[in-house]
Amino acid sequence: MKDEGISEFVIEARNLTKVFRDFWGRPTVKAVNNVTLDVRRGEIFGLLGPNGSGKSTTIKMILGLLHPTSGHLAVLGQSPRSVSVKSRIGFMPEESYLYKYLTAEEILNFYANLYGLSGQHKTERVDALIGQVGLTHARHRRVGEFSKGMARRVGLAQALLNDPDLILLDEPTSGLDPIACREVKDLLLALARQGKTILICSHHLSDMQDICNRVAILLQGEVCASGSVQDLLTTPDTLKLTLQAPSQTTLNTILDMLERETGIRPQVDHTGRTLESVFIETVSQRRSDSTHKSSCSPEKSV
Amino acid sequence: MNRSRKEREEKRTGFPPKAEQTNLCELRDFCKSALTRTTALAGLTLRDAIRSRLLVSLSTILVIGLVGLPLLISGDNTLNGRLQVILNYTLSFTLAMLSIVTLWAACGGVSSEIQDRRLYLVLTKPVHRHELWLGKWLGIVALNALLLVLTGCIIGTMTWHTLRTSPESDSAKRQAREQFLLARQSVFPESPVSESQALASAEALVKSGRTPAGMTTAQVEAELVKELKRSRSTVAPEGNLRFAYNLPARATGVNDFILNYRFESSRPARTPVSAEWTITTDGGASLHVDVTNYPGVPNTLLIPCTAIRGAQTLSLVYHRLDRDNPATLFMAQNGREPELLIPSGSWVMNLSRGLLMMLFRLAFLSALGLTAGCLLSMPVAVFAAFFILVLLASAGYVESVASTGVFYIPHEGQAQTPTWLDKAVLHQFKALNFITRPIHRLDPVPLLEEGRRISWLLTAQAMLWLAGIYTAITALAGISLFNRRELG
Repeated sequence: MKDEGISEFVIEARNLTKVFRDFWGRPTVKAVNNVTLDVRRGEIFGLLGPNGSGKSTTIKMILGLLHPTSGHLAVLGQSPRSVSVKSRIGFMPEESYLYKYLTAEEILNFYANLYGLSGQHKTERVDALIGQVGLTHARHRRVGEFSKGMARRVGLAQALLNDPDLILLDEPTSGLDPIACREVKDLLLALARQGKTILICSHHLSDMQDICNRVAILLQGEVCASGSVQDLLTTPDTLKLTLQAPSQTTLNTILDMLERETGIRPQVDHTGRTLESVFIETVSQRRSDSTHKSSCSPEKSV
Repeated sequence: MNRSRKEREEKRTGFPPKAEQTNLCELRDFCKSALTRTTALAGLTLRDAIRSRLLVSLSTILVIGLVGLPLLISGDNTLNGRLQVILNYTLSFTLAMLSIVTLWAACGGVSSEIQDRRLYLVLTKPVHRHELWLGKWLGIVALNALLLVLTGCIIGTMTWHTLRTSPESDSAKRQAREQFLLARQSVFPESPVSESQALASAEALVKSGRTPAGMTTAQVEAELVKELKRSRSTVAPEGNLRFAYNLPARATGVNDFILNYRFESSRPARTPVSAEWTITTDGGASLHVDVTNYPGVPNTLLIPCTAIRGAQTLSLVYHRLDRDNPATLFMAQNGREPELLIPSGSWVMNLSRGLLMMLFRLAFLSALGLTAGCLLSMPVAVFAAFFILVLLASAGYVESVASTGVFYIPHEGQAQTPTWLDKAVLHQFKALNFITRPIHRLDPVPLLEEGRRISWLLTAQAMLWLAGIYTAITALAGISLFNRRELG
C-alpha cells in the first residue's frame, strides 16, 4: 500500500486558498491565501503563527475536514479526503475531543476498531500505547475524570494507534507538565528517527525550536517565512562565545581587542539555565531520592 | 473503468482514480473492516445511551407511564374496561414517547458531536461518512429495540396480572380473554351489489339517454353502486337485513367470533332498538340472539364457537322487533358493513409483530433525525424533525382532506366554495398524502388496540416501506449532503 515512495514529499500544498462563505455564498473571510508548503518524509515540520493566522484551517484541509477553495493539496500522494490516506495519518487535536463516558482503554479500543485493528494485534497495540503514554494505572478510569494532561496523553495514544506515516499534532504539549512535555518531545524525536513525518502546530516556540527541522510562519493566511530552524535562527554577522569565567583583567583585554576589531563593545553576561531544565532536574532528583528511600525502608526490605 | 470516465474523475478530483478492486480477498477484507467500523460506531451509540443514563431514564419513564396510566384512567371498573385501558393507552404512550426520544437522540447523535467536535477525531480516521451514519442509525435502532422489548414485557405482565387478580367470574374472564387477548382477522359480508352488474346497468342507462347531462359512464356507475349499497343497508320497522360471510379455512375452533356493527337512525331521538340476530351456518345449525342497541354507537355480538363449529359460510339476519319505533335504520354507514372478527392466532405473537412494526417506524424516524442532524445544528435539526413528526401524526387528517377535498366542516351551514388558495393547498395535501399514506396505513397501534390480527405480510410491508424504502431515501439524501458538508 505504501506506494508513494517515489515522492519525497508527504504533504504538498500548492497555492492553497480557503475562503469561508456565509449562508448566501458570499465570501466572508479568506483564512488561507495562496499557501505553498512541502513537508518531506521523516522531518518534523512546525506551523507557527498567531491566533487566526490560518494554521488550524490548513490542518483541517490536510485532514480532509475542509475542502480547499483553490490550489492543489496532496497528502501521501493522494487527495486528503481519501479514506485510504486517513488510515496512514494520526491526528491529535488541540482539545481532547474524546468521549468522556469511556475509559482510556475503551477509547483506544474504539479507535482501533475504526482503524480496522482486531484480535491480538489490537490488544497488544492498545496495551503498548497505554504504557508508552504512562496511563497504565488509569486505563480503566473514565476520561471525564482525567486531568487535561492525562486526556492529552490519551489523545496522543489514539493518534499513534495505526502506526501512522504522517502525524499531525495541534499544540501537542499544551496542558502537559514539563516532564511529560519533555517525554512527548523525546517520543516525537524517536518517531521521526523511525521515518515518521510529523507536522506540529504550536504556540510553544521553545518546543518547536527543540524538535522541528523546518518551520513555516503563517500570518493572515499567508506564509511569511519558512525554512530550516537552523537557517532561520542563525544571524550570520553575530557570534556567541561561551567561556569558563576568566579573571576580570583577561576579560577586559579580550573585550578591548574585540572592540578594536569590530568597533562595537561586545555584551557580556552569565550563561543562564532555562527554568525548564531546573524544573526537570529538581523533580527528577526528588523522585530518584524518594524511590531510593522507599526501597531502603524497613517495610520494603521486609 | 473506461478511459474517458477515468479522465473525468481525475479532472474533478485532481488525482488519478483508484484502481478497481478485482481481488476477492481484498473485497472481503474491505467488507469486514467496514462492518467492524459500523458495529463499533453502533456500539458506541448504544454505550453512550447506557453510560449517559439515557437508557435507565427512558426505562424508568416507560415503567412509570405504562404502569401509571391504567391506574390514573379508571375506566368503567370492569375487567373489560381495565384491559381496554391497558391496551389502548399504553401502546399510544409508548409510540409517542419513543418517537420523540428517537428524533431527539438522532438529531443530537450527529449535530451535537459536530458542535463539541468529537466527530473530528472520528472523521480523521478511515471512516466513510455513510458508515458513521449507518453506525449511529443501528445504535439508535438497537436502543429502541431494547425499549420495545421492555414495553412488551410490561404490557404482557400487566395484562396477565389484571386477569389473574380480577374478582370477576370465570365466564367474565373468559369473555375478556376472547375479546382482547386474541388476534382477530376481519371478514366483511359478501357484497350483494356486483360491480360488473352496476357497470352493465350504467352503460344501459347511458345508452338509453336516461342519465343527467354531462355524466360519464364511470360517474353513473359510482352513483349506482352507492345507491344500491344505500338501499341494501336500510332496515325498515319490522324489516330485516341479511349478511353472508365466507369463512376462511380453519377459521372455527375453540374461540368465539365477534360481530362489530353500528347503525344510525332516521330519527334524531336516540331511542333503543330491539332486534333479533339469527345466525345460520351452511351446516344448518341456527342460533337466535335478542339484542337491544342504541343508534350511533359501536355494538358487539359474541357468537359462540359451539354454534358455528365446522362452518364454511355464515348467514346473519338482523330482524327488527320494535313495532312502535317508526325510525328507519341504516346499517352500513360510510360503507362499513357489519364486520365479523374471527380468531386468528395468539395475542402474544400479534403484540410481538405490532412492536416489530413500531420498531420499523422508529427506524424511519431515527433516519429522519440523523439526516436533519447531519445538515443542521442541534436546535434547528430538532425543530425540523419535530415538524415532520407532526406532519406524520396528522396523516389521518391529510388522507381525509386529500380524499374528500374538505378541510373542515363548519358547525352550522354548509361548507363554503373553495377559493384558489384552498385548491392550491389541496394539491399540496394530495402530494403529502402520497408520502404519508403508507406510514399511516402501517400504524400498528389501532390494530393492536382493536385486537386485529397483524399478519406477517403486513409486518413485512412495514419493513419494506418504513425500514426499507423510506429509510433508504432519507439515508441517501442525508449521506450525500453530509459527504459534501465541511466541518470547520
